[in-house]
Amino acid sequence: MNVDAKTNEDTTLVIERKFQTSPERLYEAWTNPEILQKWWGPEGVTIPTLDLDVREGGDWITTFHSDQMGERVVSGKYVTLDPPNRLVFTWGWIDNGTRGHETMVEIVLLQVGDSTIMTLTQKAFAEMEHRDNHRFGWDSSFNKLGLILK
Amino acid sequence: MQNNIMMTMAALGDPTRFAIVERLLKEGEVSAGDLADPFSMSKPAISRHLKVLENAELIERRTKAQFRVFRARPDTLKKMDSWLGKYRKFWEASFDRLEEVLNDMPDTAILEKKSAGDGEV
Repeated sequence: MNVDAKTNEDTTLVIERKFQTSPERLYEAWTNPEILQKWWGPEGVTIPTLDLDVREGGDWITTFHSDQMGERVVSGKYVTLDPPNRLVFTWGWIDNGTRGHETMVEIVLLQVGDSTIMTLTQKAFAEMEHRDNHRFGWDSSFNKLGLILK
Repeated sequence: MQNNIMMTMAALGDPTRFAIVERLLKEGEVSAGDLADPFSMSKPAISRHLKVLENAELIERRTKAQFRVFRARPDTLKKMDSWLGKYRKFWEASFDRLEEVLNDMPDTAILEKKSAGDGEV
């Protein structure tokens, strides 16, 4: 069990997927609320409300709902919008009005023939100002957890 | 399972709650009073945080002498050890659905937007 958060692999998630479509369509799927609403979240999770201010520096907020968990609110900011190839946004859960630990999500869309390779990179730490304490928190906790689980 | 992960993440998302779990990991069992000490927060506010953590199964309580003590729950934390792995599931499940949505997505959705943005006659 590897829980050493100091290594890049443990704080960065990378998912690559090839879609039989153009980067434009995929970009649209991420930034058009009506379309995003149809696919974001696993099966059984719905999005009763979402509000996307799709411009750099703009806020987005989404409510995920499922029977088991009720409603969970996630929000963030668009950091980079470079259609149709790249978008970057922050991601943080809101609970009881408090917004917590923030991660950074980057989507890169690369056309290859008549397909598009979409790469999602999620960094455990948004690496924004005054987030250092959180980083230490996660690091030390995961290190501790590593010891516990050994 | 997915939902529990989301609950766990949401619970840990709060800095106060994160600090509480971190402390319990380090120190084992800690009383409610001692847990509240480092925070300039009312007792009820701390209690609410503890309740959220309990509901997320991140911590549990028991009574020791007449004190309430809390400790971290390794079972839940174990699930968190690959928390990025949980996000992986979240995204991959989403992308499965995206694939279907793309199939049904009309070309016009993009074309209309583009021509509207061009402002050309």
